[in-house]
Amino acid sequence: MKVVVFSESPPHYKMASAIAQSLNPDELIGISPQPFKFTTQLYVYEKPDEDGLVDFISNLHPDLLLTGSVRRDRVIASRVAGRLKAGYIPDAVNLKFDNKLTVNRTSYSGIGISQLESSLPAVVTIAGTQLQPKEIESKMEKIQLNQGRIKIVNVKPTTSGANLATAQIVIGVGRGIGSKENVKYAEELANAIGGVVGGSRPVAAELNWVSEDRQIGLSGLRIRPKLYIALGISGQPQHIAGIRDSKIIVAVNKDKNAPIIDNADYMIVGDAVEFCKVMTGKLKK
Amino acid sequence: MNIVVGFKIVPDDTLVRASGEKLLLDVPLKISTYDKNAIEEGIELKEKFGGKVVGITVGNNDKKSIREALSMGIDEVISVSSRNLDVYGTAMAIVENIKNLNPDIIIFGEQTVDSGTSGVPGYVSELLNLPYISNVKSLKIEGKKVIADRGMVSYVETVESELPLIISVGGEINTPRIPTVRQIMESSKKPVKEVTFELEPKVKVIETKPLVVNRKKIIIEANMNEAVDKLLEKLKEDGVL
Repeated sequence: MKVVVFSESPPHYKMASAIAQSLNPDELIGISPQPFKFTTQLYVYEKPDEDGLVDFISNLHPDLLLTGSVRRDRVIASRVAGRLKAGYIPDAVNLKFDNKLTVNRTSYSGIGISQLESSLPAVVTIAGTQLQPKEIESKMEKIQLNQGRIKIVNVKPTTSGANLATAQIVIGVGRGIGSKENVKYAEELANAIGGVVGGSRPVAAELNWVSEDRQIGLSGLRIRPKLYIALGISGQPQHIAGIRDSKIIVAVNKDKNAPIIDNADYMIVGDAVEFCKVMTGKLKK
Repeated sequence: MNIVVGFKIVPDDTLVRASGEKLLLDVPLKISTYDKNAIEEGIELKEKFGGKVVGITVGNNDKKSIREALSMGIDEVISVSSRNLDVYGTAMAIVENIKNLNPDIIIFGEQTVDSGTSGVPGYVSELLNLPYISNVKSLKIEGKKVIADRGMVSYVETVESELPLIISVGGEINTPRIPTVRQIMESSKKPVKEVTFELEPKVKVIETKPLVVNRKKIIIEANMNEAVDKLLEKLKEDGVL
């Protein structure tokens, strides 16, 4: 079996590599902008080009392409699947191969977990694994990707330095916090408690009350802190999908019937800003 | 401008519940959340450039949801009924039914709320050999030229390309309109073409189980001072503070 690994994101590349190694394939090929040593053959590119990546990966004719699950990965993965008319399964949390491919993935915004089977060739994006890849002897080759039909004219990082993926305590703000100005009370609480602030997708990507790279949810970040505090977040399934792996979830909401109660350990019924002020005051003592 | 919008009819994700070993999916249906943004974008392009917006939906052919898409301003819907299509089958069904429309632009929502694969637009782009721009949060079209901002979570990427192409959109690009009573009435006169499509899937769903995390669901109702004291006590007991 020929397995190819690709991800734009280093942590996702590691996850996909770990799963690829666990399959003990005859051929293991990686494509990355970084010199990772997890595959016997590695092709390193400098400038991403989606058409170029799809051309290059498709021309390798993988039996199985494993990618990460960040947005660029999903585009490359779905397109390679289309080019090869292969089976396509995104967001795998578990993968086995025994004559056929068996994959577990979350569905219904994270409320369900589905088991799927696919024939080969197949394309699978990896959303999570506890496996770690081993460093192996890797033959490295630099490649120039084809220039495609989509020209990148500007890239603006939205990174704010906060790392929600590894944070132990995360404070999430939703529309219910009221305004962009009010987010500072969440920041003060985060400082006092040793956490970082994130937000729901509307608050991050639409209203920009927090920076865009802090969006928590199905299509943004999936976090696994020991404590998640949801401030003025109603609890749409897309948001819950991003916080499901938190150990303890606290919700602060004016409406005690808000759907987030189904996914909260504790809910304080009240105003999010008042909560931040009182909690910050007590933690400082 | 020939505009095609793909939308999916799904169980309302805010109503799907777990019951024992089963997911209760027998809930009211709706147009998947971001697919409404795709519909809105298609209608806005028609308002600006003229032409026609054809909607295509594959799988469930719920009449009420199709009426809603037509009420918003779609001119015509192709409703493909099928069972058990995977991403490959869905993409094939779409391509089979739109390839003769010569679309200038095909618009999809970036992720549905049921299977949420976000795979169909990319798959279709390859079958039709069209460029694909995913996760578009703002779109400008001048003549053949397309300029789009893509929300990639850790960065925003501005790209240029040319019609014809395929885009996927999220919730940031617009606010879907709510149809007027008159539009709802008139929508019943708009054409709905019903077709069936079956294809052996490459990916089969063996089973779906609820992913249940049991939460304590303790409601603390008191003045804020007492409520926070109580919460701090609980969080210490849980060992998270």
